[in-house]
Amino acid sequence: MLKTTFSDEIAKNKRLSILLAISVSLILFFLIYFMMYFLIPELILIALPISAIIIIIYTYSSYRFGDTVVLSATNAKPADTKEYQYLRDTIEGLSIASGISTPKAYVIQSEDLNAFATGRNPENASIAVTTGLINTLNRQELEGVIGHEISHIKNRDILFMTLVAVLVGLAAIISHLIIRSLWFGARQDRRDKNGFMIFLLIIGVIFAIIAPIATRLVQYAISRKREYLADASGVSLTRYPEGLASALEKIANKNKGRINVSDAVSHLFFVDPKQTSLDSLFATHPPIKERIKRLRTM
Amino acid sequence: MTLWIFGGLAAIIIGAIIILLFYYYNRIRILYNRIEEAWAQIDVQLKKRYDLVPNLVETVKGYAKHEKEIFEKVAEARQGMISGSREERMDSSNQLTSTLKSLFAVAENYPILKANENFKLLQEQLEGIENKIAYARQYYNTSVLNYNNIITTIPGSWFAGNRTKHAFLTIPEEERSPVKVKF
Repeated sequence: MLKTTFSDEIAKNKRLSILLAISVSLILFFLIYFMMYFLIPELILIALPISAIIIIIYTYSSYRFGDTVVLSATNAKPADTKEYQYLRDTIEGLSIASGISTPKAYVIQSEDLNAFATGRNPENASIAVTTGLINTLNRQELEGVIGHEISHIKNRDILFMTLVAVLVGLAAIISHLIIRSLWFGARQDRRDKNGFMIFLLIIGVIFAIIAPIATRLVQYAISRKREYLADASGVSLTRYPEGLASALEKIANKNKGRINVSDAVSHLFFVDPKQTSLDSLFATHPPIKERIKRLRTM
Repeated sequence: MTLWIFGGLAAIIIGAIIILLFYYYNRIRILYNRIEEAWAQIDVQLKKRYDLVPNLVETVKGYAKHEKEIFEKVAEARQGMISGSREERMDSSNQLTSTLKSLFAVAENYPILKANENFKLLQEQLEGIENKIAYARQYYNTSVLNYNNIITTIPGSWFAGNRTKHAFLTIPEEERSPVKVKF
Protein backbone atom coordinates (compact mmCIF):
# COMPACT_ATOMS: atom_id res chain seq x y z
CA MET A 1 0.00 0.00 0.00
CA LEU A 2 2.68 2.43 1.08
CA LYS A 3 4.86 1.03 -1.69
CA THR A 4 2.57 2.26 -4.44
CA THR A 5 2.42 5.63 -2.72
CA PHE A 6 6.20 5.80 -2.81
CA SER A 7 6.53 4.82 -6.46
CA ASP A 8 3.73 7.24 -7.40
CA GLU A 9 5.52 10.01 -5.54
CA ILE A 10 8.86 9.13 -7.14
CA ALA A 11 7.34 9.26 -10.63
CA LYS A 12 5.59 12.54 -9.84
CA ASN A 13 8.75 14.15 -8.51
CA LYS A 14 10.80 13.11 -11.51
CA ARG A 15 8.13 14.48 -13.86
CA LEU A 16 7.94 17.76 -11.95
CA SER A 17 11.72 18.06 -11.94
CA ILE A 18 11.94 17.69 -15.70
CA LEU A 19 9.09 20.17 -16.18
CA LEU A 20 10.78 22.64 -13.86
CA ALA A 21 14.15 22.28 -15.57
CA ILE A 22 12.58 22.90 -18.98
CA SER A 23 10.50 25.89 -17.95
CA VAL A 24 13.32 27.54 -16.01
CA SER A 25 15.61 27.02 -19.01
CA LEU A 26 13.07 28.66 -21.31
CA ILE A 27 12.49 31.57 -18.97
CA LEU A 28 16.23 32.09 -18.62
CA PHE A 29 16.64 31.94 -22.36
CA PHE A 30 14.07 34.69 -22.89
CA LEU A 31 15.55 36.77 -20.12
CA ILE A 32 18.96 36.52 -21.76
CA TYR A 33 17.38 37.30 -25.13
CA PHE A 34 15.94 40.55 -23.82
CA MET A 35 19.17 41.47 -22.14
CA MET A 36 21.06 40.89 -25.38
CA TYR A 37 18.54 42.85 -27.36
CA PHE A 38 19.09 45.95 -25.29
CA LEU A 39 22.78 45.69 -24.60
CA ILE A 40 24.44 44.13 -27.64
CA PRO A 41 21.85 43.76 -30.46
CA GLU A 42 24.67 43.46 -33.05
CA LEU A 43 25.90 40.15 -31.61
CA ILE A 44 22.56 38.54 -30.93
CA LEU A 45 22.94 35.80 -33.54
CA ILE A 46 26.20 34.56 -32.07
CA ALA A 47 25.20 35.16 -28.47
CA LEU A 48 22.00 33.15 -28.49
CA PRO A 49 23.47 29.70 -29.27
CA ILE A 50 26.20 30.37 -26.72
CA SER A 51 23.64 31.26 -24.09
CA ALA A 52 21.68 28.11 -24.97
CA ILE A 53 24.79 26.02 -24.27
CA ILE A 54 25.41 27.89 -21.03
CA ILE A 55 21.81 27.25 -19.93
CA ILE A 56 22.14 23.53 -20.66
CA ILE A 57 25.37 23.33 -18.66
CA TYR A 58 23.76 25.34 -15.89
CA THR A 59 20.70 23.10 -15.70
CA TYR A 60 22.81 19.96 -15.70
CA SER A 61 25.14 21.22 -13.00
CA SER A 62 22.13 22.24 -10.90
CA TYR A 63 21.05 18.63 -11.09
CA ARG A 64 24.51 17.24 -10.49
CA PHE A 65 25.89 19.66 -7.86
CA GLY A 66 22.70 21.19 -6.45
CA ASP A 67 23.24 19.48 -3.12
CA THR A 68 26.73 20.96 -2.77
CA VAL A 69 25.35 24.41 -3.50
CA VAL A 70 22.57 24.02 -0.94
CA LEU A 71 24.89 22.62 1.73
CA SER A 72 27.35 25.47 1.37
CA ALA A 73 24.57 28.08 1.15
CA THR A 74 23.28 26.86 4.52
CA ASN A 75 26.79 26.61 5.95
CA ALA A 76 26.42 22.90 6.73
CA LYS A 77 29.60 21.05 7.69
CA PRO A 78 30.24 17.30 7.47
CA ALA A 79 29.40 15.55 10.75
CA ASP A 80 32.29 13.12 10.70
CA THR A 81 33.76 13.66 14.16
CA LYS A 82 33.18 11.41 17.15
CA GLU A 83 30.71 13.74 18.86
CA TYR A 84 28.20 13.18 16.05
CA GLN A 85 28.36 9.38 16.18
CA TYR A 86 24.88 9.39 17.68
CA LEU A 87 23.49 11.39 14.75
CA ARG A 88 25.18 9.14 12.20
CA ASP A 89 23.86 6.03 13.97
CA THR A 90 20.33 7.40 13.94
CA ILE A 91 20.54 8.22 10.24
CA GLU A 92 22.01 4.82 9.43
CA GLY A 93 19.37 2.99 11.48
CA LEU A 94 16.46 4.70 9.79
CA SER A 95 17.90 4.32 6.33
CA ILE A 96 18.26 0.60 7.04
CA ALA A 97 14.61 0.52 8.08
CA SER A 98 13.53 2.18 4.85
CA GLY A 99 15.87 0.14 2.66
CA ILE A 100 17.88 3.02 1.14
CA SER A 101 21.64 3.52 1.32
CA THR A 102 22.86 5.68 4.20
CA PRO A 103 22.86 9.43 3.45
CA LYS A 104 25.81 11.60 4.45
CA ALA A 105 25.41 13.52 7.72
CA TYR A 106 25.94 17.28 8.05
CA VAL A 107 25.55 19.76 10.91
CA ILE A 108 24.69 23.43 10.97
CA GLN A 109 25.90 25.48 13.93
CA SER A 110 22.70 27.08 15.22
CA GLU A 111 20.65 27.08 18.37
CA ASP A 112 17.47 26.82 16.33
CA LEU A 113 15.99 23.37 15.82
CA ASN A 114 15.85 22.46 12.18
CA ALA A 115 16.95 19.94 9.55
CA PHE A 116 16.83 19.31 5.83
CA ALA A 117 17.68 16.70 3.24
CA THR A 118 19.14 17.32 -0.18
CA GLY A 119 20.62 15.40 -3.12
CA ARG A 120 19.49 13.98 -6.43
CA ASN A 121 18.72 10.36 -5.47
CA PRO A 122 19.02 8.11 -2.40
CA GLU A 123 22.56 7.09 -3.39
CA ASN A 124 23.66 10.73 -3.48
CA ALA A 125 21.79 12.25 -0.58
CA SER A 126 22.69 14.23 2.52
CA ILE A 127 20.88 15.08 5.73
CA ALA A 128 21.82 18.23 7.62
CA VAL A 129 20.63 19.02 11.14
CA THR A 130 21.32 21.95 13.44
CA THR A 131 23.37 21.50 16.60
CA GLY A 132 20.35 22.81 18.50
CA LEU A 133 18.31 19.89 17.22
CA ILE A 134 20.88 17.30 18.35
CA ASN A 135 21.26 18.90 21.77
CA THR A 136 17.59 19.49 22.53
CA LEU A 137 15.71 16.47 21.23
CA ASN A 138 15.68 13.06 22.85
CA ARG A 139 16.22 9.87 20.89
CA GLN A 140 12.58 9.31 19.85
CA GLU A 141 12.16 12.91 18.78
CA LEU A 142 15.38 12.93 16.76
CA GLU A 143 14.36 9.67 15.12
CA GLY A 144 11.03 11.27 14.22
CA VAL A 145 12.74 14.20 12.47
CA ILE A 146 15.31 11.98 10.71
CA GLY A 147 12.50 9.62 9.61
CA HIS A 148 10.75 12.60 8.03
CA GLU A 149 13.93 13.55 6.13
CA ILE A 150 14.57 9.94 5.05
CA SER A 151 11.06 9.91 3.55
CA HIS A 152 11.88 13.06 1.59
CA ILE A 153 14.91 11.22 0.23
CA LYS A 154 13.08 8.01 -0.52
CA ASN A 155 10.30 9.58 -2.56
CA ARG A 156 12.70 11.96 -4.40
CA ASP A 157 11.28 15.14 -2.90
CA ILE A 158 14.93 16.09 -2.49
CA LEU A 159 15.50 16.08 -6.24
CA PHE A 160 12.67 18.50 -6.98
CA MET A 161 13.21 20.68 -3.93
CA THR A 162 16.95 21.01 -4.53
CA LEU A 163 16.35 21.88 -8.18
CA VAL A 164 13.83 24.52 -7.14
CA ALA A 165 16.36 26.00 -4.72
CA VAL A 166 19.20 26.15 -7.22
CA LEU A 167 17.44 26.83 -10.54
CA VAL A 168 14.94 29.25 -9.13
CA GLY A 169 17.50 30.93 -6.91
CA LEU A 170 19.57 31.89 -9.92
CA ALA A 171 16.56 32.98 -11.98
CA ALA A 172 15.79 35.45 -9.23
CA ILE A 173 19.34 36.77 -9.23
CA ILE A 174 19.36 37.18 -13.02
CA SER A 175 16.08 39.06 -13.16
CA HIS A 176 17.48 41.25 -10.43
CA LEU A 177 20.44 41.95 -12.71
CA ILE A 178 18.10 42.76 -15.61
CA ILE A 179 16.32 45.46 -13.67
CA ARG A 180 19.69 46.99 -12.87
CA SER A 181 20.93 46.87 -16.47
CA LEU A 182 17.68 48.40 -17.69
CA TRP A 183 18.11 51.27 -15.30
CA PHE A 184 21.62 51.63 -16.53
CA GLY A 185 20.62 51.38 -20.21
CA ALA A 186 17.89 53.98 -19.82
CA ARG A 187 20.44 56.59 -18.94
CA GLN A 188 22.34 56.03 -22.16
CA ASP A 189 20.87 57.42 -25.32
CA ARG A 190 18.88 54.69 -26.98
CA ARG A 191 15.78 56.67 -27.68
CA ASP A 192 16.60 56.92 -31.38
CA LYS A 193 15.14 53.42 -31.77
CA ASN A 194 11.44 53.33 -32.38
CA GLY A 195 8.41 52.51 -30.31
CA PHE A 196 8.92 48.78 -30.71
CA MET A 197 11.97 49.00 -28.53
CA ILE A 198 10.01 50.73 -25.82
CA PHE A 199 7.45 47.98 -26.09
CA LEU A 200 10.19 45.37 -25.55
CA LEU A 201 11.62 47.42 -22.74
CA ILE A 202 8.27 47.31 -20.99
CA ILE A 203 8.02 43.57 -21.50
CA GLY A 204 11.54 43.20 -20.19
CA VAL A 205 10.64 45.13 -17.07
CA ILE A 206 7.49 43.08 -16.58
CA PHE A 207 9.55 39.92 -16.94
CA ALA A 208 12.08 41.11 -14.45
CA ILE A 209 9.31 41.89 -11.99
CA ILE A 210 7.41 38.67 -12.60
CA ALA A 211 10.42 36.35 -12.33
CA PRO A 212 11.03 36.64 -8.59
CA ILE A 213 7.32 36.58 -7.84
CA ALA A 214 6.82 33.50 -9.99
CA THR A 215 9.77 31.78 -8.39
CA ARG A 216 8.43 32.60 -4.96
CA LEU A 217 5.07 31.15 -5.93
CA VAL A 218 6.70 27.95 -7.17
CA GLN A 219 8.43 27.61 -3.83
CA TYR A 220 5.22 28.16 -1.95
CA ALA A 221 3.29 25.70 -4.07
CA ILE A 222 5.59 22.77 -3.64
CA SER A 223 5.91 22.09 0.03
CA ARG A 224 2.74 21.74 2.01
CA LYS A 225 1.41 18.36 0.89
CA ARG A 226 4.93 16.96 0.82
CA GLU A 227 5.47 17.83 4.46
CA TYR A 228 2.32 16.02 5.60
CA LEU A 229 3.23 13.03 3.48
CA ALA A 230 6.80 12.95 4.78
CA ASP A 231 5.45 13.18 8.35
CA ALA A 232 3.19 10.21 7.72
CA SER A 233 5.72 8.01 5.95
CA GLY A 234 8.45 8.99 8.41
CA VAL A 235 6.25 7.74 11.20
CA SER A 236 5.75 4.46 9.35
CA LEU A 237 9.51 3.98 9.79
CA THR A 238 9.78 4.89 13.45
CA ARG A 239 6.33 3.48 14.33
CA TYR A 240 6.00 6.22 16.91
CA PRO A 241 4.00 9.33 15.92
CA GLU A 242 4.39 10.88 19.35
CA GLY A 243 8.15 11.21 18.86
CA LEU A 244 7.72 13.48 15.86
CA ALA A 245 4.79 15.31 17.44
CA SER A 246 6.75 16.22 20.57
CA ALA A 247 9.75 17.19 18.43
CA LEU A 248 7.47 19.64 16.60
CA GLU A 249 6.20 20.96 19.91
CA LYS A 250 9.73 21.65 21.16
CA ILE A 251 10.55 23.31 17.85
CA ALA A 252 7.48 25.54 18.02
CA ASN A 253 8.51 26.67 21.49
CA LYS A 254 12.22 27.16 20.96
CA ASN A 255 12.82 28.43 17.42
CA LYS A 256 13.50 32.12 17.03
CA GLY A 257 14.46 32.42 13.36
CA ARG A 258 18.16 32.32 14.17
CA ILE A 259 19.28 30.45 11.05
CA ASN A 260 20.22 32.99 8.45
CA VAL A 261 19.42 31.41 5.08
CA SER A 262 18.27 32.70 1.73
CA ASP A 263 14.61 32.42 0.71
CA ALA A 264 15.78 30.19 -2.12
CA VAL A 265 16.48 27.30 0.27
CA SER A 266 13.96 27.83 3.07
CA HIS A 267 11.47 25.35 1.58
CA LEU A 268 13.98 22.53 2.08
CA PHE A 269 13.86 22.79 5.84
CA PHE A 270 11.93 20.64 8.29
CA VAL A 271 10.16 23.73 9.62
CA ASP A 272 10.25 27.20 8.10
CA PRO A 273 13.56 28.72 9.26
CA LYS A 274 12.06 32.22 9.32
CA GLN A 275 8.99 31.00 11.17
CA THR A 276 6.77 33.91 10.46
CA SER A 277 3.27 32.64 11.13
CA LEU A 278 1.81 35.75 9.51
CA ASP A 279 0.64 34.70 6.07
CA SER A 280 -0.31 31.05 6.12
CA LEU A 281 -1.57 31.40 2.55
CA PHE A 282 1.92 31.76 1.14
CA ALA A 283 3.75 29.70 3.74
CA THR A 284 6.14 27.04 2.46
CA HIS A 285 5.31 24.85 5.41
CA PRO A 286 2.01 23.74 6.88
CA PRO A 287 1.42 25.20 10.32
CA ILE A 288 3.20 23.23 13.04
CA LYS A 289 0.01 22.99 15.09
CA GLU A 290 -1.80 21.29 12.23
CA ARG A 291 1.07 18.84 11.76
CA ILE A 292 1.02 17.94 15.45
CA LYS A 293 -2.74 17.48 15.34
CA ARG A 294 -2.51 15.11 12.38
CA LEU A 295 0.24 13.10 14.06
CA ARG A 296 -1.70 12.75 17.29
CA THR A 297 -4.79 11.44 15.50
CA MET A 298 -2.88 8.78 13.61
CA MET B 1 -13.73 -11.67 -41.52
CA THR B 2 -14.97 -13.16 -38.25
CA LEU B 3 -11.91 -15.40 -38.30
CA TRP B 4 -9.72 -12.29 -38.30
CA ILE B 5 -11.65 -10.77 -35.40
CA PHE B 6 -11.38 -13.93 -33.30
CA GLY B 7 -7.75 -14.37 -34.26
CA GLY B 8 -6.98 -10.78 -33.30
CA LEU B 9 -8.81 -11.07 -29.98
CA ALA B 10 -7.01 -14.30 -29.15
CA ALA B 11 -3.66 -12.69 -29.94
CA ILE B 12 -4.45 -9.70 -27.69
CA ILE B 13 -5.53 -11.94 -24.82
CA ILE B 14 -2.49 -14.19 -25.11
CA GLY B 15 -0.24 -11.14 -25.34
CA ALA B 16 -1.82 -9.65 -22.21
CA ILE B 17 -1.39 -12.92 -20.32
CA ILE B 18 2.26 -13.12 -21.31
CA ILE B 19 2.88 -9.54 -20.17
CA LEU B 20 1.14 -10.22 -16.86
CA LEU B 21 3.14 -13.41 -16.43
CA PHE B 22 6.41 -11.56 -16.98
CA TYR B 23 5.40 -8.75 -14.69
CA TYR B 24 4.37 -10.97 -11.80
CA TYR B 25 7.26 -13.36 -12.25
CA ASN B 26 9.72 -10.47 -11.98
CA ARG B 27 7.81 -8.75 -9.22
CA ILE B 28 7.76 -11.86 -7.06
CA ARG B 29 11.48 -12.42 -7.70
CA ILE B 30 12.30 -8.79 -6.85
CA LEU B 31 10.34 -8.93 -3.63
CA TYR B 32 12.00 -12.21 -2.70
CA ASN B 33 15.45 -10.74 -3.38
CA ARG B 34 14.56 -7.83 -1.18
CA ILE B 35 14.07 -10.20 1.75
CA GLU B 36 17.53 -11.63 1.11
CA GLU B 37 18.98 -8.15 0.94
CA ALA B 38 17.25 -7.26 4.20
CA TRP B 39 18.76 -10.32 5.82
CA ALA B 40 22.20 -9.25 4.60
CA GLN B 41 21.66 -5.96 6.44
CA ILE B 42 20.90 -7.80 9.65
CA ASP B 43 23.88 -10.04 9.07
CA VAL B 44 26.24 -7.07 8.80
CA GLN B 45 25.05 -5.73 12.14
CA LEU B 46 25.21 -9.14 13.83
CA LYS B 47 28.82 -9.54 12.70
CA LYS B 48 29.75 -6.06 13.93
CA ARG B 49 28.25 -6.92 17.25
CA TYR B 50 30.00 -10.28 17.29
CA ASP B 51 33.33 -8.49 16.85
CA LEU B 52 32.66 -5.85 19.49
CA VAL B 53 31.50 -8.03 22.35
CA PRO B 54 34.94 -9.57 23.20
CA ASN B 55 36.39 -6.05 23.58
CA LEU B 56 33.64 -5.20 25.99
CA VAL B 57 34.08 -8.41 27.97
CA GLU B 58 37.84 -7.83 28.23
CA THR B 59 37.30 -4.29 29.46
CA VAL B 60 34.81 -5.40 32.09
CA LYS B 61 37.02 -8.33 33.15
CA GLY B 62 39.77 -5.89 33.97
CA TYR B 63 37.60 -4.48 36.78
CA ALA B 64 35.17 -7.26 37.67
CA LYS B 65 36.93 -10.58 37.29
CA HIS B 66 34.64 -12.65 39.45
CA GLU B 67 31.39 -12.10 37.50
CA LYS B 68 32.10 -15.35 35.65
CA GLU B 69 28.55 -16.48 35.22
CA ILE B 70 27.63 -13.45 33.13
CA PHE B 71 30.72 -13.72 30.96
CA GLU B 72 29.81 -17.30 30.13
CA LYS B 73 26.28 -16.38 29.21
CA VAL B 74 27.50 -13.57 26.98
CA ALA B 75 30.01 -15.87 25.26
CA GLU B 76 27.34 -18.48 24.65
CA ALA B 77 24.86 -16.06 23.14
CA ARG B 78 27.61 -14.49 21.05
CA GLN B 79 28.60 -17.83 19.59
CA GLY B 80 24.98 -18.59 18.66
CA MET B 81 24.74 -15.39 16.66
CA ILE B 82 26.85 -16.65 13.79
CA SER B 83 25.60 -20.18 13.30
CA GLY B 84 22.28 -21.86 12.68
CA SER B 85 19.08 -20.74 11.00
CA ARG B 86 18.00 -17.12 10.83
CA GLU B 87 15.48 -17.69 13.58
CA GLU B 88 18.13 -19.28 15.82
CA ARG B 89 20.64 -16.55 15.16
CA MET B 90 18.10 -13.85 15.95
CA ASP B 91 17.18 -15.71 19.13
CA SER B 92 20.82 -15.73 20.19
CA SER B 93 21.05 -12.05 19.34
CA ASN B 94 18.01 -11.28 21.48
CA GLN B 95 19.49 -13.36 24.25
CA LEU B 96 22.71 -11.41 23.95
CA THR B 97 20.73 -8.18 24.23
CA SER B 98 19.32 -9.23 27.59
CA THR B 99 22.62 -10.62 28.93
CA LEU B 100 24.38 -7.43 27.89
CA LYS B 101 21.74 -5.54 29.81
CA SER B 102 22.64 -7.45 32.96
CA LEU B 103 26.32 -6.95 32.20
CA PHE B 104 25.78 -3.22 32.09
CA ALA B 105 23.75 -3.47 35.28
CA VAL B 106 26.71 -5.21 36.93
CA ALA B 107 29.00 -2.47 35.68
CA GLU B 108 26.89 0.00 37.67
CA ASN B 109 28.53 -1.45 40.80
CA TYR B 110 32.00 -0.51 39.62
CA PRO B 111 32.36 3.27 39.46
CA ILE B 112 35.88 3.10 38.02
CA LEU B 113 34.70 0.86 35.20
CA LYS B 114 31.74 3.12 34.52
CA ALA B 115 34.09 6.06 34.14
CA ASN B 116 36.38 4.20 31.74
CA GLU B 117 36.36 5.98 28.37
CA ASN B 118 36.78 2.78 26.42
CA PHE B 119 33.88 1.18 28.25
CA LYS B 120 31.64 4.15 27.57
CA LEU B 121 32.51 4.08 23.90
CA LEU B 122 31.82 0.36 23.63
CA GLN B 123 28.52 0.78 25.41
CA GLU B 124 27.50 3.51 22.98
CA GLN B 125 28.55 1.49 19.95
CA LEU B 126 26.68 -1.59 21.14
CA GLU B 127 23.55 0.44 21.79
CA GLY B 128 23.81 1.89 18.29
CA ILE B 129 24.14 -1.57 16.78
CA GLU B 130 21.20 -2.84 18.80
CA ASN B 131 19.05 -0.08 17.35
CA LYS B 132 20.25 -0.85 13.85
CA ILE B 133 19.43 -4.52 14.32
CA ALA B 134 15.93 -3.52 15.37
CA TYR B 135 15.53 -1.34 12.28
CA ALA B 136 17.00 -3.97 9.99
CA ARG B 137 14.54 -6.49 11.43
CA GLN B 138 11.71 -4.06 10.76
CA TYR B 139 12.81 -3.72 7.13
CA TYR B 140 13.12 -7.50 6.90
CA ASN B 141 9.59 -7.99 8.18
CA THR B 142 8.20 -5.28 5.89
CA SER B 143 9.87 -7.04 2.96
CA VAL B 144 8.43 -10.38 4.06
CA LEU B 145 4.99 -8.80 4.33
CA ASN B 146 5.22 -7.41 0.78
CA TYR B 147 6.34 -10.76 -0.54
CA ASN B 148 3.64 -12.69 1.30
CA ASN B 149 1.03 -10.21 0.10
CA ILE B 150 1.89 -10.59 -3.55
CA ILE B 151 1.98 -14.40 -3.52
CA THR B 152 -1.26 -14.80 -1.57
CA THR B 153 -3.49 -12.19 -3.21
CA ILE B 154 -5.11 -12.34 -6.63
CA PRO B 155 -3.72 -12.03 -9.28
CA GLY B 156 -0.21 -12.60 -7.88
CA SER B 157 -1.24 -15.95 -6.41
CA TRP B 158 -2.02 -17.26 -9.90
CA PHE B 159 1.59 -16.74 -10.88
CA ALA B 160 3.21 -17.75 -7.61
CA GLY B 161 3.39 -21.47 -8.43
CA ASN B 162 4.29 -23.49 -5.37
CA ARG B 163 5.92 -20.63 -3.50
CA THR B 164 4.95 -20.52 0.14
CA LYS B 165 4.72 -17.69 2.61
CA HIS B 166 8.00 -16.54 4.07
CA ALA B 167 8.42 -16.57 7.85
CA PHE B 168 8.65 -13.34 9.84
CA LEU B 169 11.38 -12.69 12.38
CA THR B 170 9.59 -12.73 15.68
CA ILE B 171 10.00 -10.06 18.29
CA PRO B 172 11.23 -11.09 21.74
CA GLU B 173 8.61 -11.22 24.48
CA GLU B 174 10.01 -8.33 26.52
CA GLU B 175 9.88 -5.92 23.57
CA ARG B 176 6.32 -6.82 22.82
CA SER B 177 4.97 -5.63 26.14
CA PRO B 178 4.48 -1.88 26.39
CA VAL B 179 7.20 0.10 28.11
CA LYS B 180 6.31 0.97 31.68
CA VAL B 181 7.52 4.27 32.97
CA LYS B 182 8.29 4.38 36.68
CA PHE B 183 8.73 7.50 38.72
